[in-house]
Amino acid sequence: MPPLTKAAADPAAPVTKTGPDGPPGDGRRPRRPLGRHNLYGWLFSTPFLVLFAVFMAFPIVATLLMSFTDFGARHVTRPLEAEFVGLENYTKLFEDDRFLTALFNTAYFVVVGVPLTILLGLLVAILLNNGIDRARTFFRVGFYAPVVTAIVAVAVVWRFVLDPSDGLIAGLAAELGMTAPDFLGSETWAMPSLIAMAVWRNLGTVMVLFIAGLQAVPADVREAARLDGAGAWQEMRRITVPLLRPTMLYATVITTIGYLNVFEEPFVMTQGGPSDATLTVSLDMYREGFNFFHMGYASAMAYVLFVVIMGITVLQLRLLKDNTR
Amino acid sequence: MHRATPAAIALTVASALTLTACGGSGGADVDADAEQTLTVWAMGTEGEKLAEVADVYKKSHPNITVKVTPVGWDVAHQKLVAAAAAGKLPDVMQMGGTYLGEFADMGVLEPVDTQTVKKGDFFPAAWEQASYDGETYGVPWYVDTRVLFYRTDLARKAGAARPPATMDELLKAAQAHQDKAKTKWGLSIQPGGLDTVQSFYPFLYSAGGEIIDEDGKAAVNSPEAVKALETYGEFFAKGVSEKAVRPGYDVTKDFNTGDVPMFFGGPWIMSLLDENYPDIKGKWAVAPVPADKESVSMAGGSSLAVSADSEHKAAAKEFVSFLTDAKGQSDWYERTRDLPANQQAWETGTLATDPKLKVWREQMETARTTPSQPRLTEITSKVDSAIESVTQGKSSAKAALDKAQAEIEGLVE
Repeated sequence: MPPLTKAAADPAAPVTKTGPDGPPGDGRRPRRPLGRHNLYGWLFSTPFLVLFAVFMAFPIVATLLMSFTDFGARHVTRPLEAEFVGLENYTKLFEDDRFLTALFNTAYFVVVGVPLTILLGLLVAILLNNGIDRARTFFRVGFYAPVVTAIVAVAVVWRFVLDPSDGLIAGLAAELGMTAPDFLGSETWAMPSLIAMAVWRNLGTVMVLFIAGLQAVPADVREAARLDGAGAWQEMRRITVPLLRPTMLYATVITTIGYLNVFEEPFVMTQGGPSDATLTVSLDMYREGFNFFHMGYASAMAYVLFVVIMGITVLQLRLLKDNTR
Repeated sequence: MHRATPAAIALTVASALTLTACGGSGGADVDADAEQTLTVWAMGTEGEKLAEVADVYKKSHPNITVKVTPVGWDVAHQKLVAAAAAGKLPDVMQMGGTYLGEFADMGVLEPVDTQTVKKGDFFPAAWEQASYDGETYGVPWYVDTRVLFYRTDLARKAGAARPPATMDELLKAAQAHQDKAKTKWGLSIQPGGLDTVQSFYPFLYSAGGEIIDEDGKAAVNSPEAVKALETYGEFFAKGVSEKAVRPGYDVTKDFNTGDVPMFFGGPWIMSLLDENYPDIKGKWAVAPVPADKESVSMAGGSSLAVSADSEHKAAAKEFVSFLTDAKGQSDWYERTRDLPANQQAWETGTLATDPKLKVWREQMETARTTPSQPRLTEITSKVDSAIESVTQGKSSAKAALDKAQAEIEGLVE
């Protein structure tokens, strides 16, 4: 996109399309109206622009507009009859107990789930990178397989694992003479169970990122550290972790975004139950939007979630910024 | 990018709005005798079996081709809403009982001509479910209700000579099953989650309660409803019903093993048990819902509705009456085991003679339904939460239903 690159190179230059190509006085090149250049550019990017406009920009804008209306089932056939209600949807949201529960549950999921995923992912990556020589591929595939497995299949397996009467964990506990809790049926245990499942599912992605990051750590730096007498722990703390910082930032940001949007796990495993103990913001939004058809209200929810995600991501980018450069 | 994006958005918004807005215009009607194709949407098993009937129909009506599109129940509601928005509803569609009010309210359904389709031919609850705001928008197709399924062998062990006739007897029988027949549970009823209300309806209606009264007002905290929920909660408090049931729980599995000796089930459970668990054939039976004030179960099922935009209304109506007259309904029962909504269909064949089916018929005659409401799903979801808070011992029946009443008052129209 010529106007943008130009603006970046020379902030003082006017970013108008009818403006001259290059600074005035540059007489060597024939003056061609920039419009022509732009036309080709626009033509070549038409496929992208059309797709973007139809499938991204339009829904985003429509959702924003909808969030200020009372759009419901009866406006489906007469969309223009939806009434503008200002900020009412937003104020109603923060008086809605279910939504507040959903916000809390989502926060719980993120606060426990993200650090667990990152730490375990790092641990597995380090082990696979250094410790385990044999069957390395086997383990890599093993840890990555959950990422590419369909959620429905995962749900079947996890239901079996967590089943209170004849499940894997319940069976093991019975062998040891203990009773396992009813994981998905108890309000205390349902969320931790889903977190465990999510960590298991997302570990693979984080692991792959960290392995790539670890392999980019220069060997000479490690060697120098060792020559200076650093032990394994010091090497890890002073060399590996700081040099992995950009990778860690990226992994944390995408995991957090994914977890804030968490939908599939509660949807397939608990439907938000028992007693809304696993109701997340996305699931609540789905219910309001598609079960009850409060499109206006659900859109407002989507924007609140969007603002939360945006805020947290910016915060993370600032806090975990690479200070070594 | 600065320039074109707003323009592009404006264009897409404008075109999308025109696309959706023009849904309201209906085309010219085509005569029933003319060569034409009818589009029909049906859900689940009905969608699979209806194509066979469409072929039969083609033989007697060579000018009409019926194109059946099966739609899964899980996506049915969304597909119908999307089609309604785009003005692309099929000529004829199966309407789940709980959907009708919503779509009638959108104005996308053609009212039924009550001169030709007689109210008296159908079960009263089925007719009510197909009506909204004084008009009838669908012709009842099949009905569904809940009756008590029980294991006769286990009942004998528990010392019960006959199935429980009252709610008190039901609780005692459930406890006797646990004590004497050593079953894990006494009765399976849903403790919480989506559509728990379906499990609660037999208790509610039998006690004389209702969610919305005849005048369309919320009535869920009436003394009758509170009593019904107290009875319901007692099964959990006394430990005869399981408090935590995961979504997608299949009660027939535990019924087969004997862990669950009694539950309330719909008509499809009969064929399910016959097909999947031949071992317990002859060891189970159905009985009417135990009476509280009286024995009243819930009515569900589907009706057939014609789209208001259809260009083939004449032919569509003929096809609908072909499916819903007594002959069409008996034939449909043979194909699907769906219980006919047309009472005359029950006068002939297995429907008239089978003792198990007699239970269904009697239950259906008195069964009740919640009046059609545009926000019915949302209303019942409030009752779901109330039931759950009682079964989990978090709230008294009165307090839970008072809360639900306040919420539902804002939702009824």
